[in-house]
Amino acid sequence: MAAYIVRRLLQGVVVLFLISAVTFLLINLAPGGPTSAVSLGRTAEEREAVLRQYGLDRPVLVRYFDWLGGVLRGDLGNSYNQGLPVASLLAQRMGNTLQLALTTLGLTTILGIVLGTLSALYKNRWPDHLIGSLATVGMSVPAFWLGIVAIIVFAVQLKWLPSSGIFTVGQEFSLADRLRHLAMPAGVLAFTLMPNVIRITRSALLEVLTSDYVRTARAKGLSERVVLLKHTLKNAMVPVIAILGLITTVLFSGSVVVESVFGWAGLGRLAIEAANGRDYPVILGVTLLVGTIVVAVNLLVDVLYAAVDPRISHE
Amino acid sequence: MKGIRWKFGGIRAALLAGTLSLGWVLAQDYDPNATLNLATNADPTLNPWTPGAVVESNLINTILFDQLVRYNKKDLSPAPGLATSWKVAEDGLSWTFNLRKGVTWHDGKPFTAEDVAFTFNNVVLNKKLGAQNAGNFSKVKSVEVINPYAVRFVLNAPFSSLPYYLAYYAGILPKHVLGNADNPLQVASFNKKSPIGTGAFRVAEFVPGSYVRLVKYEKYWGGTPKINSIVFKIVPDPNTQMAQAISGELDFVGVSNPALLAGVERNPKLQVLRQSQNLYYFVALNQNDPRFRDVRVRQALLYALDRKAMIDSVVRGYGTIATGPIAPLQKAFYVKDVPQYPYNPEKAKQLLAQAGWTPGPDGVLQKDGKPFEIDMPTGQFGYLVPATLLVQQYWKAIGVKANVNVMEWNAYIQKMFVNRQYEATLAWWSTPPTPDVTPYYASVAADKGNNIPNYKNPELDKLLEEGLKARGIQEQVLVYRRIQRLLAEQLPYLYLWYPDIISVRNERVGGMADINTATAFQYSSEWFIKR
Repeated sequence: MAAYIVRRLLQGVVVLFLISAVTFLLINLAPGGPTSAVSLGRTAEEREAVLRQYGLDRPVLVRYFDWLGGVLRGDLGNSYNQGLPVASLLAQRMGNTLQLALTTLGLTTILGIVLGTLSALYKNRWPDHLIGSLATVGMSVPAFWLGIVAIIVFAVQLKWLPSSGIFTVGQEFSLADRLRHLAMPAGVLAFTLMPNVIRITRSALLEVLTSDYVRTARAKGLSERVVLLKHTLKNAMVPVIAILGLITTVLFSGSVVVESVFGWAGLGRLAIEAANGRDYPVILGVTLLVGTIVVAVNLLVDVLYAAVDPRISHE
Repeated sequence: MKGIRWKFGGIRAALLAGTLSLGWVLAQDYDPNATLNLATNADPTLNPWTPGAVVESNLINTILFDQLVRYNKKDLSPAPGLATSWKVAEDGLSWTFNLRKGVTWHDGKPFTAEDVAFTFNNVVLNKKLGAQNAGNFSKVKSVEVINPYAVRFVLNAPFSSLPYYLAYYAGILPKHVLGNADNPLQVASFNKKSPIGTGAFRVAEFVPGSYVRLVKYEKYWGGTPKINSIVFKIVPDPNTQMAQAISGELDFVGVSNPALLAGVERNPKLQVLRQSQNLYYFVALNQNDPRFRDVRVRQALLYALDRKAMIDSVVRGYGTIATGPIAPLQKAFYVKDVPQYPYNPEKAKQLLAQAGWTPGPDGVLQKDGKPFEIDMPTGQFGYLVPATLLVQQYWKAIGVKANVNVMEWNAYIQKMFVNRQYEATLAWWSTPPTPDVTPYYASVAADKGNNIPNYKNPELDKLLEEGLKARGIQEQVLVYRRIQRLLAEQLPYLYLWYPDIISVRNERVGGMADINTATAFQYSSEWFIKR
């Protein structure tokens, strides 16, 4: 197992190197430059001054190896548009994204597995239909629309929850305040991601429930509860873990829209701001960080597989 | 009898007016501990000259950094700010500004002429830094300190609009804070944490990605502000901003899309402000293309557009047909009786026929066997795409084929503005309220400057020059009226419309100048929150 992990880590480093090289070349080949250089109203002279300041007058390859050297020394460069070190921008946003991602993941996992299990146990009866319809809505409704509807209902009409931000301006840290701010963005994200977990849990459980060993367990006279918790659920978890791994990577990279709607200062929003403004160092920094997270989550998922199902071998 | 009743009516009216004004005084009673909540769409950079510090930073910086000149709240003419008075030399080649005494920076240090000289000589005019809006001051050679309370702007050429530009996002920076920095525009502690200005409010807290909190500067030269603090929340989504205005979490939001106003107009707590500003949408026809050098072709392509219908559909009626670069807002300069181009596709066809364009077999006009096809790139931003598609339809109706190519915004700017690779394109200019349009029309600004259509006309160049040499408003008015007539006739740009600037304000806010947003923010010390 240890050897496997080391091998996977080395592969991860190679993957990250490739990601950085491809990203660097792609964004530098894309038309348009940093907003501060191409903004309307800038004279050719001013534009050139800005490009020189950023070192963008040098060839792409030279710049790439320059950047890579910096990264190996732990320096991700400075943001063009914000003038701050990329590492500090990432650090500021990472904490916020973690809060949102973990809360969402918790909600998605718990509710998804519970609802998926209920759906399987009540197959083709009304709870199954109800949960199925809910899942269909969650899958088909765009998150930004749901976000705006949630704001109108819970913030504007009912005034139960704050419509945006991470905490109340000027207030000391308070868990209750943080949770109130988290409720809508995490709820909306969970609602749109949960259907995946519900469906996979349901079908995996249904498959396991009809398998021979479950019939045997029941025949032995074990209670339905023990059959479900001890024999069935655990085995049905392998595909669920796989989908949770996928969801985690989405949470770290793709929650851009929800972060924008709810003014949640996370990595996704940073990425979109950077891409719009052609802030190359920030785009690379976010890509590298998200890449690292994806590699790590995949490794974790594979290790978890083995823990849940000893039949899966890594040798 | 009638007369007597009339008299009584008058007395009653006077009594009523007295009661009303008393009520008005009571309503003026404000809460000095109140917080005003505003929004901005991304992390601002708190230095008015930093390249890239644009929409998200402009208004905050207007509050933090005073300028030498502000806009007059009534007619946008130049009014005293950090400078109390100014005078141009006989030859028009230098301007002397007398500075306000007793002004202090947010750290308590006194403001002097050295700060003004530093801002311009070391920052704006330092070509290596590429300061935002530096191009507005290309005629300034240097700024000399006459004494601690007077400076002289030395120019390369006459520049009658200097005071207007000094009122346009041109905040003064503190020499004692930034004087020793390698690059005064990239000092992170200043730009992202605690800038030092002379404005009515200073920064108390900056939480990246979340908000910037300002508190009143007690020693502000214009008197202690009437609001305790201002919070700029960072809310990127315009729908969310509007929802927050409705729920009362935001007191003032700019509305980029009139569609968002549904339901807001009937809300008694919210006022919808409809202001005009110096902004016009246009179609630029690249003059490097010989087809567009024929004035008849330009006029025809404008006759073909139903601009009233475009305004109704694209901006839901929030706009007026444009006649040139000087907007009606600039009352002293705007002239209405210039050549107009009411929608007339028949006239358009006639003009094109005179220019030698005749219908081909497929209905597309042609000349010398070549079809009238136009390469028309557009960027994904605001109304540009729908407006461009409408132009395409109108031109199709007269036999002109436009090939619209929709691009991502930065890529579009690079292609159209930097490289000038286009034949026609629809865009807009937002300019300071000065009649001086040289940067957008002069031959020297063609091909690489802001003269997007690359229009060159010696007669116009001469008039623009005269405008810059004008001494006093009377002379300016005469020259710029001639310029407007010439532009309306020659159409270097096809003028489309002046959009209204829409904002939504909570009724609890008072003291905001109504003329336009930029001006309102220059007088933030006068804002108050009703009790």
